[in-house]
Amino acid sequence: MFIYLFRRALTLLLVLLGLAVLIFIIARIVPGDPARIALGPMATAEQVTELQNEMGLNDSYPKQLWTYLSGLAQGDLGKSLLTSRPVMDDIRAALPATLELVLFTIILQITVSIPLGVMAAVYRNTWVDNVLRVVSLIGVVTPGFVLAIMLQLVAAYYLGFFPITGRLDGGIDFSADVTGLLLIDGTLAGRFDVVTDAARHLFLPSIALAAAGIGQVMRITRTAMIEVASRDFVEASRAYGIPERVVTCRYMLRVASVAPLTILGLEFASLIGNAFIVEFVFSWPGIASYGVRTILQKDLNAVIGVVLVSGVFFVVANLAIDILLGVLDPRHRLRAGRDT
Amino acid sequence: MSVIDDHETPDHGMTARQMAFFRFRRNPLAVIGALIVLSVVIMAVFAPWIAPSPESAGSFVNFRNRHAPPSWDNLMGTDNVGRDVFSRVIYGYRVSLGLVVGVLGVAVPFGVILGLVAGYFGGWTETIVMRFTDIMLALPPLAMALAITAVLSPNLVNAMIAITLLWWTWHTRLIYRIVKGQMNEDYVEAARVAGASHMHILFRELLPNCISAVAVKVSLDAGFVILFGASLSFLGLGIQPPTPDLGTMVATGSEYLPEMWWQAIMPGLAILYAILGFNLLGDGLRDMLDVEL
Amino acid sequence: MSRLLDIQSLSIGFSAYGQYRQVLHNVDLHVSEGERVSLIGQSGSGKTVTMRTIIGTLPMPPGKVEQGSILYDGRSLLDLNVQERNRLKGTGISIILQDPMLSFNPVLTIQRQMDDIIRYADIRLERRRTKGERHAHMIETLRKVQLRDGERVLESYPIMLSGGMRQRVLIGMALLNQPSLLIADEPGTALDVTTQDEILRLLNTLVDDEGLSLLLITHNLGVVRQMADRVYVMERGHIVETGTRETIFEAPQHAYTRKLMAAVPPLYGDKVQTVVHHGADPMIDVRAATKDFQTRGGLLNRATASFRAVNDVSLTVNQGDIFGIAGESGSGKTTLAKMIMGLTTLSHGDITISGRNVAGFAGSQEFRKLVQIVYQNPGSSLNPRRTVADQLAVPLKFTGSDSTAIKTRISELLDLVDLPQNYASMYPHELSGGQKQRVAIARALSVNPKILVLDEPTSALDVLVQSTVIDLLHRLRREFDLTYIFISHDLSLMRNFCNRVAIMLRGEVVETGPVAEIFDAPNHPYTRALLSAIPVISPEEDALKPKITQEERASVLATSTLLEDE
Repeated sequence: MFIYLFRRALTLLLVLLGLAVLIFIIARIVPGDPARIALGPMATAEQVTELQNEMGLNDSYPKQLWTYLSGLAQGDLGKSLLTSRPVMDDIRAALPATLELVLFTIILQITVSIPLGVMAAVYRNTWVDNVLRVVSLIGVVTPGFVLAIMLQLVAAYYLGFFPITGRLDGGIDFSADVTGLLLIDGTLAGRFDVVTDAARHLFLPSIALAAAGIGQVMRITRTAMIEVASRDFVEASRAYGIPERVVTCRYMLRVASVAPLTILGLEFASLIGNAFIVEFVFSWPGIASYGVRTILQKDLNAVIGVVLVSGVFFVVANLAIDILLGVLDPRHRLRAGRDT
Repeated sequence: MSVIDDHETPDHGMTARQMAFFRFRRNPLAVIGALIVLSVVIMAVFAPWIAPSPESAGSFVNFRNRHAPPSWDNLMGTDNVGRDVFSRVIYGYRVSLGLVVGVLGVAVPFGVILGLVAGYFGGWTETIVMRFTDIMLALPPLAMALAITAVLSPNLVNAMIAITLLWWTWHTRLIYRIVKGQMNEDYVEAARVAGASHMHILFRELLPNCISAVAVKVSLDAGFVILFGASLSFLGLGIQPPTPDLGTMVATGSEYLPEMWWQAIMPGLAILYAILGFNLLGDGLRDMLDVEL
Repeated sequence: MSRLLDIQSLSIGFSAYGQYRQVLHNVDLHVSEGERVSLIGQSGSGKTVTMRTIIGTLPMPPGKVEQGSILYDGRSLLDLNVQERNRLKGTGISIILQDPMLSFNPVLTIQRQMDDIIRYADIRLERRRTKGERHAHMIETLRKVQLRDGERVLESYPIMLSGGMRQRVLIGMALLNQPSLLIADEPGTALDVTTQDEILRLLNTLVDDEGLSLLLITHNLGVVRQMADRVYVMERGHIVETGTRETIFEAPQHAYTRKLMAAVPPLYGDKVQTVVHHGADPMIDVRAATKDFQTRGGLLNRATASFRAVNDVSLTVNQGDIFGIAGESGSGKTTLAKMIMGLTTLSHGDITISGRNVAGFAGSQEFRKLVQIVYQNPGSSLNPRRTVADQLAVPLKFTGSDSTAIKTRISELLDLVDLPQNYASMYPHELSGGQKQRVAIARALSVNPKILVLDEPTSALDVLVQSTVIDLLHRLRREFDLTYIFISHDLSLMRNFCNRVAIMLRGEVVETGPVAEIFDAPNHPYTRALLSAIPVISPEEDALKPKITQEERASVLATSTLLEDE
C-alpha cells in the first residue's frame, strides 16, 4: 500500500511539474508583450522596459524558467501586473470561497448521484428509472450558465427565498478566520445565523454547479450496476442465500463504484471550469471570478496563478479518488503498483 | 481454457445487424435524438431560407419593435434593438455547428492517431504521449480556453483553436485504452505473423475496432463542444457581436431579466435543445453498437 | 431410498430479442438420498438452465415455466414464495458454480464472503452464533476441503489464491450450511487435469463423509464415469437417455450418446490409433533453448527478479512429424512455441529451421512462407470487425500476391477447409466455433507453409466439433505433406494424433519419444502422474493407466492445498 501511494504521489508531482512548465511555455510563446499589454497603449517606452525588467522578461528563457520554478517552489506566484500585489495573496484571499463552493458541490454530487444511480438500476425500466433518467439527462444537457440563470429567475425572483449573489448577507458581521470556510468557521464560533445564511447562499450556486456531474455520475452508476448484476459472483451470492439488499450494497456496489468514482475524478476538471461560469453569474467572490477579471484585464501573472491553482486542485482531487479506489478495490492497488 | 464457450442462453439465430436494429427500435429516445440533430443541422445549413428575418442576424435595428414578447410574428420575441430572436437563434446554430465541425474535424483525427500510436508501439512512445496527454488533461479546460482566447483576441477562430488544443486529449485517452485492450487479442499477433506492416495493423486491424466508440464519443462531444463554446462566449471571450452567437445572446439578454425573460431564456433553451439532441443520439448509438464508454 | 430432488416433465421457454424459444422439453430427472447423479451435455444442451431453475436464479421474466414441477424433499419448489425458497439456499440445496475466479466477489476477503453466507443463513433459520463460533466453523470447513492453513486463506483476497485453492474454497462455501444436495457445475474444468483429479477425489470423499447427494453437471464423459452412480444425457433441451453408469458406458442406446462416446479419443486399448511416421530429415532443431522473463516492481519499476519460463530445452522435429508438446498451464509450452515461431527471442541457446537460425530470418517473407501458426481461441485470433475474406487476404497481401491472385486463393482456401464460398463475406461472430477455427486454419495455410504450429487448436471447441477439426488437420497434412507442432494439454487427443511427444513441466522437457512408448511405458514420475489423472471412459483403459505412488506424486506436483509462496 505504501509503495503504491508513494508512486502515485511521485507521478502526480511530475504531472504538476509538467503542468507548470507547459503553462510557462504557453505564456511565453503567446504573441504580444505582456508588459505592454498590461500597461496599455498609453505607456511610454521607459515604463514598458522598466516593467519588462521587473518581470524578468528580458532575461534568457532558461533563467526565466528557473526564476519561475523556484518561485513556485516557495509559493511565490509573482506579482499582479495591475495591482502589484503578490498574486499569491490575491489568490489566497479568493480561494476559500471557491473551495467551500466546490467541496459542498462534490459532497452533494457523491451523496446524491450514487444512491440515485443504484436506485435507477434496481428499479430498472420502471417509472422510477425513467424519471431518474430524465432528471439526469436534464442535468447533463443544460448548460451551466442557463441553469444558473434559470435558478436565479425561479428561486430568487419568483420564490424569493434564496439570495442570488454573494456568500453572506451584507448585514451580517463575520469574518472566517480559521479555515476560510463559512460553514465550518461559523459552527466553530457558535454563530448559527452565519451558518444558515451561508448555507442559503451556497444552495443555488452549488446546484447549478453540481447538476451536470450528478447527471453523468448517476448514469454511469446505473450502467455499472447493471453490468455487475450479470456477473457470476452476484448470482453465486444469491444462490448462497444472501439477502438482496446486502447483495446490492455490499457485493454489487463496491465493485460497481469503480466506474462512477473514476468519472467523478474526471468531472473535477469540468467542475473547475463550470465554477468560472457559476461564480460569474452569482457574483461569488471566488478564485474563478478573480480569474475571469484578470483574464479580461490580461494580467498575465495572475492568469498563470489561477490556472496553476486550478491544475493543482485537479491533480490533488484525482489523487484522493485514486486512494479511495485503492481502499475499495484491492485489485486497483495491486495493479497500479505494478505497471505505472 | 474453458470448453464452454457460449453462454447458455438459447441461440436466437439473429445476425448482429438485426440485433442492433432491434435495440435501436426499442429505444425511442435515440430516434428522437436523431431527429433533433437533423433539425438543428437543417436549420444551420438552410438558415438564410428558414429564418423569418435574416437581417436580424446582422446589425439591423428596429427600435419600434424592441423588447417585444414572443408572438406569432416573432416566435421568440425581439431583443433590445428590435431584432427577431428566433432568426438570430437559427443563425446562431450556424456558428455552433461551424464550431463543432472545426473543432472535431481536427481534434478527432489527431487524437485518434495519437492514441493508436501510443497504444500500439508502447515503450517510450507510449510513455511520452500518455504523460503529455495526462498533463494536458490536468489542465482545467475552461480556464485554459479562457486564458488562450484572452491572450489572443477573442473571436471565433481563436476560440476554435483554444478548444481544439484541449479536446484531442480525450480521444487519445479513449483510443489508447481500447488499443491496449485489443493488444492482448491474438488477432494482432496473427496479423504480425502474417507479415502485416505497422500501417496495416494500425489502420486496417485496430482502427475498425475503435470506430464504434469514436462514433459514440463524437456524437456526445458535439453537444459538449457547443456547450463549451457557448460558455466561452457567455463570459465574453468567444465570438463577438454582432455575429449571432447563442452564448453571447444569453449574456446580453440576462441584463433584461426578469421582465424580458425571453431574450436570455430562448437562446438558452436553443442551446439545450441542440445538446439534448446530440446526447440522445450518442446514447442511442452507444446502446445500438453495444459500446462500453 | 426416497427421492430428494424430483423433476418431472419440466418445460421452460426463454425470450430474447423479441423471439421466444423453448429451452427445456419435458425433462425428467431425480436424485435420491446419498446418490451421485450426473447430467451430461455439450454447450447449448440446456444443462445450465436446468441447474439455475433448481436453484432459483433463472430470471423468470425472460424465462417461463411452461409445465412441469420440481419437488425437493416432497415440496414443490416452483410454488414456494421467495422467503421459503431462500431458506433452502445453502441449507438444503447448495451449488458450486463453474468458474472459481468469477464466483468470488473480487473486492472482499474470503473471510467476509464466508461469514456473510453463515450469518444470513443463521438469521433465516433463527440460529444465533457468535463471531468466534462462526470463525471456528469456517476453519473447520476449510480443513474438510484439505486447506490446512485456514487463517491465511481467510485473510486473502480471491485474486491471491491459486486456481485449485479457489475451487476448494468454493466447495467449502457450498458446505458451510450443511446442505443435503450439492449441485456442482463443471467442477475443475478451468484447472489442470492433475488438480482437477484432486478436486474430484475430494468431492467423492465429501459425499461419503458428509452424507451428501450430488448432482454433477459436466460435458466430460471421463469425469462422469469417475463421479456418477446414475447418468442423464441431455441434448438440446431433451433428456435423450438415462441409466446407471454401467449401462450407459457399456451399452449406450441413443445415437447421440454413442456419438459422444465415439468422439472421445481413447487413451489406451485397441481403439487407439497410433500414428506412425518415420521422418528422416530433421527440420526443426532446438538446442538448449532458454527464456527468462523479467518481472518489474518496486519503487522505480526496476527489473527485480527473473522468471525462467523455458529451461535448456533440446529437441528435434523431423519432416512430416506430428510432434506433440504436452504440458499443463505454466509448463512453458506456449513460450516454446513462440520461440520456434520467432515471436519471442531466446535468452540462451538457438533454434534452427531447415538449417537456418530462426533469430536470423524470423519476420522475413521467407520465414512466413515456411512456418505458420493456428491459435487456440478463434474468437480472439480473428478480428471481429473484419470479414473472413479480408482476414484470409492479409498473409497473401504481404507475401507479394496481387488482388486477382488473392481472390482465387481465398476461394481455394475455403474449399480446402470445407467452408461454403459465401462465408467469405461474413464476420466472425456469424460463424460457430468450429467454423471460425477452420477459417484460422485456412489463414495459416494461405501461403503454403511447410510447418504448422498448432497452439491448442481444439481446446475451445466441443468434443464433437473437435473430432471434425482433427479429421481436417489429418487430411491437410497428408495432402500437403506438412509438419505439425501440436501443443496441448489433452493427452488423449495427442495419443491419437501425434507420432512423437515431448512432456513439459515447469519449463523443462522431462520426457520425449515416440507416442506409443511414452504412453505405454512412461519413465518420469510426472508423466505417470499426468497420465493417471486423466479421466477415461472405460475400465479397461483405467487398468492400463500407469500407477504412481503418493511420494512420487508429491515430488513432482505442488498440491493445491498450499498457498502460492510456500
